[in-house]
Order: sequence, then structure tokens, then C-alpha cells
Amino acid sequence: MTSQEKKIVTVVPDLRDFPLDRLGELGGTPLAHSIALYLERLKENGVPLSSFNARI
Amino acid sequence: MNRVASLKAHRLPETAFTALAAGRGDPAAIRLLQGTQQSKHIMLLHAIAEAVGDGDPADRGVAAFQAGYELLTRIQATDPGAATWLLGLPHLGGWAHDALIRLDQGASPDFAYLACAAAAAAVRAGVPFELDAPVRDGHVLLPGLGRLAVGDRATWVRLRYDGEQLAAGNGVVVSRLVLGPDYGSGQPVPHWRGTPAVRVLADGLAWDVLLVTDDPYLDRYTLPMSAGLSEHELRRWRQLVQAAWEVLVRHHRWAAEPIVTGVSVIVPLTPQSETDLISATSPASFGAVATSWPPDPVTMAETLVHEFQHVKLCGLLDMVPLAESGAEKVYAPWRQDPRPAGGLLQGIYAHLGIVRFWQSQRQAETDPDHILRAHVQFARWRAAVEDAVGTLLRTGCLTPEGVRFTSLLRDQEMTLSDEPVPGPALRIAREVALDHRLTWQIRHLATDTAAVSKLADAYRRGEQPSRQQDRPGVWVQEDVRKLGSSVRSRLLNMSYLEPARYRELCADGVLPLSGADRLLLGRDAEAAVRGYRDLITGSADPQPDAWVGLALALHRLPAAVLQDVFAAHLPVLFDLHCRLGAGHDPLDLAGWFG
Repeated sequence: MTSQEKKIVTVVPDLRDFPLDRLGELGGTPLAHSIALYLERLKENGVPLSSFNARI
Repeated sequence: MNRVASLKAHRLPETAFTALAAGRGDPAAIRLLQGTQQSKHIMLLHAIAEAVGDGDPADRGVAAFQAGYELLTRIQATDPGAATWLLGLPHLGGWAHDALIRLDQGASPDFAYLACAAAAAAVRAGVPFELDAPVRDGHVLLPGLGRLAVGDRATWVRLRYDGEQLAAGNGVVVSRLVLGPDYGSGQPVPHWRGTPAVRVLADGLAWDVLLVTDDPYLDRYTLPMSAGLSEHELRRWRQLVQAAWEVLVRHHRWAAEPIVTGVSVIVPLTPQSETDLISATSPASFGAVATSWPPDPVTMAETLVHEFQHVKLCGLLDMVPLAESGAEKVYAPWRQDPRPAGGLLQGIYAHLGIVRFWQSQRQAETDPDHILRAHVQFARWRAAVEDAVGTLLRTGCLTPEGVRFTSLLRDQEMTLSDEPVPGPALRIAREVALDHRLTWQIRHLATDTAAVSKLADAYRRGEQPSRQQDRPGVWVQEDVRKLGSSVRSRLLNMSYLEPARYRELCADGVLPLSGADRLLLGRDAEAAVRGYRDLITGSADPQPDAWVGLALALHRLPAAVLQDVFAAHLPVLFDLHCRLGAGHDPLDLAGWFG
């Protein structure tokens, strides 16, 4: 994998190194947008479940 | 530049996208998915924290959440690895999703679970803390580690941890050294019940996985989790996982290596029937797969491959939307119900993994029955994936990335299309696929009633059927006709899944089958055709199961003229016959219609 390789920009902000007690500072940033987007998906779809009966 | 301004989105390299689309994805690609899940969980945790901010501080659940959040912040600062462990737990994802859904519904979430989760991470990290935790059924749950028994009377207990010992209330003290999962090799520890776990090893590749049976946020599947497994049952699960792991590592290393990274939890499920084998995955709980007890290690290995495909796709879908929601439902060759495009994509992806699994497993088997099973599974699901990909692309519900993903997936499937399959296995694969599709059509394809009436009138008058464009339209309508679970269908599947049991049951002759079914299963197709025809003609009630049987029997005859008519128009023929009433020969009707 080279550094020049094309990358898909995803809809999730990278928060892994962000201090939890400072998340409130991100209120008006892409985080709020991402949360709203995610909650909208959750509301639309619920939490879809894959369930499979191997005997069908 | 401050941290807020420099916040970036997760990025997915093209090579990882391509590999995942082809059904693969090495451990590095899985770590990319995991990293995104950790960010997602932080995001959801933040959304819950915002909601808690408006809560009553005197509420013990709210106070416990705030204490848990504060503790997790400290852990993140002192031992980032422990925070990463917690934020990657499928338990936490399940809880966060449920909390947000409850908030959206105006209900009160289980805020206090975060105190338990943070306490578990603190115990791992050796970070001292003191907080109140909820007691359920006499235990405090420490997700990912186990349960602390604190007595039946309290609903809350004060936990104190000094980095070496965990104390609950005034009487329970447990050393940090034993506060971990239970691998089945140690002595019982007073007050502590470690989460059952298994560490398996084959050809140098190890996998460590929890067998979770007590966390309410992983009890989220269509079947209940198998709570209260005995030591004997847990030993059997551990042995089964070990045996399945040997199958995976020795014959399917492409799947085994990323499973080590991507699956951390197995949830044993309790099936409704001992013959059912149910497995499931939830996008809320990345890294967890659920399954009822599989009958053998190969089936367990297949189940792990299958469900891990869902895990990967769920992770990818959180990063890149591939399908739009809300469109019409369509046929999926592995489900009894109509599926939306997103559900069909999940099934296709899972079955691409299954096809690859059986492609290799065919070479690994030595018993003739097992070889037959492997060939039929490979042939059946290979054809199913190919058909379903076409259906999915025709829905028009995929995003541009979804179209690209599906096309890459199809390219991978095409590389398997020339693989030879022995004739008998191919015949069984085609028959069970046809049985499934026609049964689904009878259940879920509605027909244009007025157009069917016009056809019936034309038939009575002895006229030729109407032109092609006037043929009754059909559309998906769930459960438009009643059709119960067919013993015949079960037997057809059993003929390759459990050939020995199939032979035994057929020899007994005690099964509740019609005479025509017996003839079909006995491979007397011509007599079976007559039997089904007589059954349909002579019955005053509709016989949907016999119509499917008739179609199957016709397909067993070499080049029968009516095969294609039955395969393509069964719901219309059935409704037309119902309209005409008893006494009409279904073969004459099909000949006239076709």
C-alpha cells in the first residue's frame, strides 16, 4: 500500500486520539454532522440484523 | 492548528475496498474497519453524553454514567490501549445503539451500563476508581471480563478498586489477577464468574474469543442467547470452536487470519427447533457473531466464514454507504422472506464467502457423503450469488460505490464459474434452488386478479390465451398465499446436508408425505407427475405445495415441454387454477397457457 494510493474518504471522523472530555468542543464540526447522519440512518433502518437459517 | 480544526475522516485505501469487495480483506483491512468502529462508538457515546447532560443529576443512572465517562476519560489518558479495548467491544456498540434508540423513543436508557464498562477497562488497566454500579440478579457485570457476585438484595453497590483488588460493598474483595475471562482451565474463584472464553490454536495460528451468554446488549438476535450454559456445555462449545478452527486454518487460511483480528465474541443461541441452525450478526455489535449449536466442526467453520462476511460488510457500510433504503423488496435465494436491496447485498456478500469456503472444502473432505455435501453447497450458492447479483443491480438502489462494490464482487464470483461439479451434485443443487424459488414465489408473488379472471374466462370458452403483453402482472406482496414449511423441502435439503439421516428417514416410511412426494423422493418422476396432477385435479381446496411438487417432478423428466412454463409462471398458473375451480388438469392448463 503506497502513500500515493487513492483513498475513499468515509463519513466517520477519526476520533480515536481525541480526548473524551473535549468532545463537547466539536459541537459545530463534522462530528455533529456525522452523528446526525448516523442517527438518521438508525431511525430509518433501526438496527438491521442478518439472520440466517442454514436449514432453509 | 488545533485538534478540532485538524479532525479528519477515516479513509479507506482503494486496495482495501477492492479486497473487501472480492470477499477477502487481510488483517490490516480489518483493523481499518475496527478503527472506524472505535470512532463510531466514541461518536455514539458523545451523543448519549449530550442527552445525559440534560438528565437529572440525582438520578442514579445518570450519576453512574457521568462517573463512568469520567473514569473512561482518565483511562484514555493513562492507558490508551485499555480505552481502545473497551471502545472496540461489541458489547459497547450494542449498548450505545440501544441507548440511542431508547432516547429517540422517549424512553430511559440504561445509562449506568457505562459505569460497568469503564470499570472493566479500569480493572484491565490497573487504574484505581470508586463508583456506584448497578446490580442485576445479584451480580455486577464487567463487560468483556465477567460478573462479580455481590448478593441478591442490593440494586446498587459501591465498587472500589485500588489497582490490585476490587471491592464491592463491604464484604466482597477479589484480586485483580483473577478478574478475567474463564478459559475453562482454572479453579472456581469466590465471587467471580469470568466470561467463558476459548483460546484455540492450529498450525501456529491462535484465536482468542469470548463465549458471551450474559450480557443484555449482546442478547439482540432473533433467538435468545443460551444463558446459563453448564460447565459440560461450555466444554463442548470450546471443543467445537477448536475443531472448527482446525478446519479453517488448515483449509481456509484466507478466512482464518482476518477472523483472528475481527471476531472477538461468539454468542451461543438457543434454537426453537433442534433441526434449525440459526446464525446472525448485528451491525450494532461489530466483532460479535451469534449461532445456535452447529452439528459438526465443518458447519461451525462455515458459519464463522458466513457471519464474518456480515461483520466485514457492516463495518464497511458504516464507512461508505453502498445501498439506499426504502425501495421494493426482492427475492433472495437464501431467505424465506422478500428482502430490500441492502439485505440482499448482505446475503450476497455472505454467500460469496460460503462459495469460497465450499470450493476449498470439496478438496478437504474424504467421506462420500461429506464430499456430496461440499459439492452441492458450492454449486447451489455459486448459482445463487450469480442470480442475486443480477437482481441487486436491477433494483437501482445501489450508490455509485455500491455498484462498484457489487461489480467487483461479481468479478470474483465469475472466477469460480468454470469450476466443474459432478452431475449428481449439480442436479441436487438445481433442484433445491428451484424448490426454494418456487415456494417463495407462491408465498410472495401476487398476481393481477382481473387479468387472471380474463384468462380463466378465455380458458372456459376454449379460446387461445391472450397475447404476451396481456398476461397477468405479478409483484412482490409478502405472504399473499399461505404455504407451510414443507417436509418435502426439508428432506430435499437433508438429502445432501445429512445423507445418512435422509436415507434412514426415507427407509422408515413414517414421514407425513403425500404419495406424490414419496414418488418424487423415490426418483420416480413420471409417477410423481401423475400423483401431483391427480392431487391438484381432485382437490376442492388449493394445493400450493402440490404445485411446487409438480414443477419439481417435471424438472426431473428429460426435456419436458412444460418445465419452463411452470418455472416461469407458477403463481399465475396457481391463481388461474383456483379461479377455474376443481376438476381442471394442471398440465392441460399449463400447456394452454404456455
